[in-house]
This record gives sequence, C-alpha cells and structure tokens, in this order.
Amino acid sequence: MAKDPKKQSKTERAQALLREQQRRERMRNLLVVGAVVVAVAIIAGVMFAVQSNKDTTGKAVGAGGTPNNLTGDYNVVIGKSSAPTTIKVYEDLQCPICDDFEKAAGAQMQQAIADGKIKVDYHMVAFLDRASTTQYSSRALNAAMAVLSTAGTDAFLKFHTIAYDNQPAEGSAGVPDSTLIDWAVQAGADKTTVTPLINDNTYHQWVVNATDQMSKDGVNGTPTIYIDGKDQGTNWSVAAQNVLKAIGS
Amino acid sequence: MKQWIGVAARLIVGLVDLAAGISKFPDPAGNVRQVRAFDLLPEAVVPAVGHALPTVEILIGALLVLGLLTRATAVVATLFFVAFIVGIAAAWARGMEINCGCFGSHGVPADPQRQYAIDIARDVALLICSVWLVAWPRTRLALDNVLFPHHERLADGEGSEEAVED
Repeated sequence: MAKDPKKQSKTERAQALLREQQRRERMRNLLVVGAVVVAVAIIAGVMFAVQSNKDTTGKAVGAGGTPNNLTGDYNVVIGKSSAPTTIKVYEDLQCPICDDFEKAAGAQMQQAIADGKIKVDYHMVAFLDRASTTQYSSRALNAAMAVLSTAGTDAFLKFHTIAYDNQPAEGSAGVPDSTLIDWAVQAGADKTTVTPLINDNTYHQWVVNATDQMSKDGVNGTPTIYIDGKDQGTNWSVAAQNVLKAIGS
Repeated sequence: MKQWIGVAARLIVGLVDLAAGISKFPDPAGNVRQVRAFDLLPEAVVPAVGHALPTVEILIGALLVLGLLTRATAVVATLFFVAFIVGIAAAWARGMEINCGCFGSHGVPADPQRQYAIDIARDVALLICSVWLVAWPRTRLALDNVLFPHHERLADGEGSEEAVED
C-alpha cells in the first residue's frame, strides 16, 4: 500500500508507541478504578455492619423481659369478654395524633369498657424514639408495660391516660425515668416493684419486637383504629367519631 | 457548558442522596419497617434492604459530590431512582397510605395523595439528572479528572471541542 517503506515503518513505530502508551494508561486507569472500588466496598461493608448491629429487632426477649398480663404476644385486650364491640388500637405514647384521638375518645372508651359495651385491644408500639433526645417513646412504653405487668389492666389504663395528658412535645428531652415512676405509682403500681423495671428498661427488647410486629401486621402509622376489624383510616377525628358512635355516646 | 451542567447534576443528586442517607442512618429498625410498608419485597430480604439503604445512599451521594467514578455511580443512582419511582407509584396505585420514607420515617403524611405526587416528581427530576451523568459523565471540579488525567486526550474523537476548551 505505502510507497515509501522507510516512511511506513516510521508511522508503524509511532503507532506502536501510541498503542503501548494507551495500553499502559488503560492498565493504570483499571488499577485506580479497582482501588477506588475496593475502598468503597470496605466502607460499605463497615457501614452495613453498623446498621445491622444497631437493629436488635427480632432478638429473643430474655428471661423476665416479657410483661405479664398480656393477651397475645404483643397486645392486651381490656374489657368484658361479653362486650359486643371490639376496638383495636395501635398507639405510640409519643405520637401527638394519638393524643388528639385519646382526647376526643379516650375517656369515653374507658367508660364503655367499664360498662361492658366494648373491649379494647391495645397494641402499644414505640417507633418515635427519634422524636425526643432521650428515647422517650420506648421508655414510656416500657413503663406502661411495667405497670401492666405488676399492677394489672386498670392501672395500665390509668397510666395510659396520665401519659397522654402529660405527653412531652416532639423534639423535646421527653420525661425522665423518675417522672415515669411517679406516673406509675399514681396509676396504682407499687413503687419498689416498678422502679427497677423502669430504670433498667426491662421490657425494651419486647418493645422493639412489638413495634416490628405492628409493621408485620401491615400497620404503618399511629393511631390506627379498627372497629370490629374495620380499619378507620388515617383521619383521627373521623376515627374518633366512629368510635363514639360505636359506643353509643 | 455541558460539563458545568454535569457539576450541577452531580451536586443535586449527590447532596439529596447524602441528606436522605444521613437522615436514615440513626434508625435502622425504622428503615426496615419503611421498606416493609411498601409490601413489594419478600420478607426474607426486607431487613437486609432496610439496613443497606442508608449506606448505599450515603456512598452514592459522596461519590457524586466528589465526582469519583461518576458514570458508574450515576448508573447505580439511575437504577435506584427507577426502583423508588416504581415503589411509590405501586403504593399510590394500590391506595396505600404510607410515608415514602425518603428522609427517615415520620409516620403517615396528612395528605398521602399529594405527598405521592410530590415524591414521584422529585424522584423523576433526580432520575433525569442521573441519566444526564450517565450520558455525559465528564464534568468540571471532579476527582475523576485528577485520577484519570489523560481521559480527555484519549477520547479525542468524541469530545474534541471539550479538549480544545481546556
């Protein structure tokens, strides 16, 4: 093809040189990419491990870590078994909308329980720990379970009312354990019995698992209210009105 | 010009991903519940996906902000945004009332319908930025330019005007 063999070999040599240079650059780039990928993979592995370790969900509850007086694994049904209507609630003690719902219908529900008109299936959960600087959500539920466990359902209902009446604002430091103990005693629990349960956060793993169970039940927010199995939707005020209607008050 | 648009795309997607990942990081159990709420993945993989999400978001965000392995990272980001859009659209279509969990878990929004539309619009915008970076991964102010300095000369054929601009 080429007429001048000298010129051709010169071009060929130049091309070979360029190819060699390109090959070396490709190798170098591949090494750099490989190094970056390995570094990123190591960081990813560490971060993933941190996440998995932090999440104790599903870990077995230790001895004495499950509250007494529950009805099922993660709920307590309160009321006469002959009551014609069952209301099921999923609530978080830190959740302001639950507080709205309780203010609108809570007292009437407790009266209707006493009158034998309804039974209430309480599924208490704690997914709002990030709404306080002291994990109030899960500590408050632990305290509620300490009351249920040691003083029974009436005391639990009283604690439930006190906790909503005094709910700390979201983003605050919550309420210290000493106050939770005061509430528990006010609700009818024995101080010496309940104090270590609250200070040691005894039911914490149960609380974590109960919260996971809510999600497995397909419930993604609180309050979620069912009347005889029928979901009352996300509007708490409609749900409260329907509950009052069902009670007949 | 294209390279500066690329910088903007990198920073938009990168910073949003970083913010999303960092806000998710403190609450792994919440992320798992959030993934489960979409009811799209088998329970066996739900916890792993929930635990991986903040890590992946933080790393995609960091790599894009730094401009490191831009094209590969943008490909991963693109796949994620497609998955998020599908997930949110599926929840919307099934009439589910859930929070997208995009920036940590905060319970159900007051107006889920409107929230779904906003979430999808945001993810579509981020998807467009990511696709742009897949198409034109060479950008200014990127670590890629330091690590792969001969990239532009080698690719003369397709980007000669950029080479001249340099």
